[in-house]
Amino acid sequence: MIMPLIKGLQITISHMFKKPVTLQYPTERPDVKPGFRGLHALNVSHDKAKCVACYLCPTVCPAKCITVEAGEDQNHDKYAAKYEIDMLRCIFCGYCVEACPVDAIRMTEQFELANYSRADFTYTKDRLLEKK
Amino acid sequence: MVNLTIDGKQVAVEKDATIYDAAKACGIKIPILCHDKKLHPFGGCRMCLVEVEQMKGRLIPACTTPVTEGMIVQTTTDEIVKARKLVLELLLLKHPIDCPVCDAAGDCDLQNLTYEYKVNMNRFVDEKFNHEIDYENPLIERDMNRCIHCGKCARICDEIVSYGAYTFINRGIEAKMGTEFDGPLNCEFCGSCVSVCPVGALNSRPFKFKARWWALQKTKSVCSYCGTGCQLTLGSKDGKVLTTIYDENQGFHNGQLCTRGRFGYQFVNSDKRLTAPMIRKNGNLQEATWEEALAEVTSRLSAGKSDPASVAALATPRLTNEELYLFGKLFRGTVGTDNIDHSAGYAHEALTKGAVASFGVAASPAEIADVQKSNLLLVVKSDAYETHPVIGFEINLGVKRKGIALRIVSDKKGKLTRLPGAKTTVHAPGNEVALFNALCKSVIDQGLAAEGVAGLDALKAAVADATAEKAGVTAEEIAAIAKEFASAEKALIILPIGQGYPGHNAALANAAANLAILTGQYGKEGAGLLIMGEKNNSQGAVDMGIYPKGTGLNAAAIIDGCANGNIKTLFVAGENPVVSYPNRKKVEKALENVEFMVVSDLFLTETAAMADVVLPACSFAEKSGTFTSLGRRVQNVRKAIPAVGLAKSDFDILNALSQALGGARYNNQGEVFTEIAANVPAYKGLTQAGLKDEGAVYPVALSAKLVPAAAQASAPVAGKLTLVTGSALYHCGTMSRFGEGPMYVCPDAYAELNVADAAALKVAEGDQVTVTSGTGAVQVVAKVGKRVPQGVVFSPYHFGEGSVNTITDGSEVTYVTVAKK
Repeated sequence: MIMPLIKGLQITISHMFKKPVTLQYPTERPDVKPGFRGLHALNVSHDKAKCVACYLCPTVCPAKCITVEAGEDQNHDKYAAKYEIDMLRCIFCGYCVEACPVDAIRMTEQFELANYSRADFTYTKDRLLEKK
Repeated sequence: MVNLTIDGKQVAVEKDATIYDAAKACGIKIPILCHDKKLHPFGGCRMCLVEVEQMKGRLIPACTTPVTEGMIVQTTTDEIVKARKLVLELLLLKHPIDCPVCDAAGDCDLQNLTYEYKVNMNRFVDEKFNHEIDYENPLIERDMNRCIHCGKCARICDEIVSYGAYTFINRGIEAKMGTEFDGPLNCEFCGSCVSVCPVGALNSRPFKFKARWWALQKTKSVCSYCGTGCQLTLGSKDGKVLTTIYDENQGFHNGQLCTRGRFGYQFVNSDKRLTAPMIRKNGNLQEATWEEALAEVTSRLSAGKSDPASVAALATPRLTNEELYLFGKLFRGTVGTDNIDHSAGYAHEALTKGAVASFGVAASPAEIADVQKSNLLLVVKSDAYETHPVIGFEINLGVKRKGIALRIVSDKKGKLTRLPGAKTTVHAPGNEVALFNALCKSVIDQGLAAEGVAGLDALKAAVADATAEKAGVTAEEIAAIAKEFASAEKALIILPIGQGYPGHNAALANAAANLAILTGQYGKEGAGLLIMGEKNNSQGAVDMGIYPKGTGLNAAAIIDGCANGNIKTLFVAGENPVVSYPNRKKVEKALENVEFMVVSDLFLTETAAMADVVLPACSFAEKSGTFTSLGRRVQNVRKAIPAVGLAKSDFDILNALSQALGGARYNNQGEVFTEIAANVPAYKGLTQAGLKDEGAVYPVALSAKLVPAAAQASAPVAGKLTLVTGSALYHCGTMSRFGEGPMYVCPDAYAELNVADAAALKVAEGDQVTVTSGTGAVQVVAKVGKRVPQGVVFSPYHFGEGSVNTITDGSEVTYVTVAKK
């Protein structure tokens, strides 16, 4: 009976000399691991979104949270006139990133997505565009 | 039959089949890029290479090799797969890999085969093409960099459309699909080339970038423009019809559509659609609730029940059979008025009076399938192509593939005139009846009349003084046509009717029927008379009895009744009399005078703008039901998208009114169809489910009789031109004005003049001219050409601005003067 007690106390005492595993969030920030799937971002190339509105991401999205509408620019090229993700529906599966043939979308390390109104969870093209 | 073995399967096929056809018949898929079942085999893409035991040592194309007895065919050996991969590699050598931005992705044969054959690398290296992309065309975008030279666009344009807008130009590596002088595409914009292009070289601009093929909801339905009854597949997404999808297995026309069917669907999604009911208050139309609007209409119609003669109703033949039946039941039954009609009085008389008198049925004795089974086609007006373009394609195919003789009697030349072997007899406008009478007389004089025809003596007497000169043609022409028609094994008369053709009435139908009956050319396959109603359900409207019977007033008389105050309440379902009926000023005055007018329509048309209550109605894409084509085929129309705004289908509107007025109430349109099948003899035994995708042609029992038709004398007036009205290829009625496609190509009213007249009047193409008749004057753009004969001016009737009905009054011909503005 006494031995188990001593063993238990040993463990307790050993922890008193170790660094704590918890983070004092928000003053301490976590170290996000590679491959973490956070908020999406639209990559930019030549000062505009790389997205060519091929509609593959809304096609593969299992949560149907992506809305794309293609437009035609002055050079008759296709571009995403509207790109929206409803983050309330998103399940962060990353299929959109995998499906993208032109590397136009990626998932960032941003995980702080809490908000107060439904509208704030709609990420429009402007909000998703990679910020420089 | 020929017996052969394909991949170990025994198959027996017709002796003119190819290996590709035989494989298809036994369910073996041979990949192909340059083949379409409507087109002649081409053998250009070399994807369909197969191995034939008896021809060992080389691979042969399946699509051009006819079957022979005892052939043993292998379709997928290692060598064949290797050869097909090579073909794909060579095609991909030049083809840009721009699938993400190409609208064909997902519906691209090259993409699908590349995936299927796992061509993920290329052994060859070369530069891609750098052809300039044709963005100038409003409907068809041509990116020849993506072209794989299958030639389908050129072949369909030549073989079926008979336009010939494309051809191969240059040779070898420089070869490409070009247009005349390699300029921008300038054709009739039917989009057939777009529909068959296996890659994204030809794209529909209205659909450009709108959606992916796989994301579209596909709904099989029937086109809502002309009476041909072409089936189409609507591609819709998010409550909007975005495109029409080509299906080579759909309908009698194998998926072939004209420019209206292909590019005219946008009126469904138009921003101008009515989305809420409106009631006139203090002189202005103001939005109201459905309850208010229907209550207002109910109270007026209810008051009208005590004086039914003061109530009249006009319906568009674009409504479904169920809606038209309900329309008839509501006004003829519940309200008690006989003043109902479905167009300007004369436009369907050929069916309701002419065909009934001559054949005993209010329908064409022939059907569309007869066009290609005939030996000789006698087309009245070359416009048969412009009013019903897909029937024009059928005529093209019959003439070019089956050697059918084509004779045209018309007041102007048209596209049909240019078909191989076609002979056109141009007569003075408005003399069609005189011409048919002269033909009948010639048949009798030449001793070609069939024996024992009832009423022959009466006809002989009636046509005794009919001469070719009275019809404005030569006696030789008449004698030749009469002889050819009578001596042909099977001869068919094609007669377009509609609001644009005031002379195409009961008398003309009788006169044409007389020729068919006199020569025994009716009641058999490939012969008879095809009366082509203008609108998508013109035949259905006649079948449902939407025309005046007994003492009822026809549309023209209803307008007069409105003008003189006899008609106090007018219900208009989808018609636009202000633009489509003759004598616009008179119609406008009449409609202003009527005490209460209610209009249900998709748009605030010129007529709806004058109404006291406007009810927003659904388009064909937003409702289910049936349409009956001019060939008596009853077909299912299916709902593709939800109603726009608060719009209700005419079925719902009429059902609500019927119930409110103490009449019948139905739970759905299917119940009405069941009642139609019980009450309309021709529809007996039909069920909506039984119509399936292909529809059903209802039979007719003919009791033919010669009915003499009196010809109106119509002679040119010195110093004046003869105005001929009609249909423009891109438009049908007044609804196509709300489709972007037709308006891109043909946005304005025009007057077409002969070059000689134009030169005399010092008018050039594109000039603004004033066309003046005894009724009024209208300003339109001039078109100059050789299609119309000297002394004749042609103008389409569809347009609200520069509307030609300002100067017409419903008579067969109108004499006008034309002056440069």
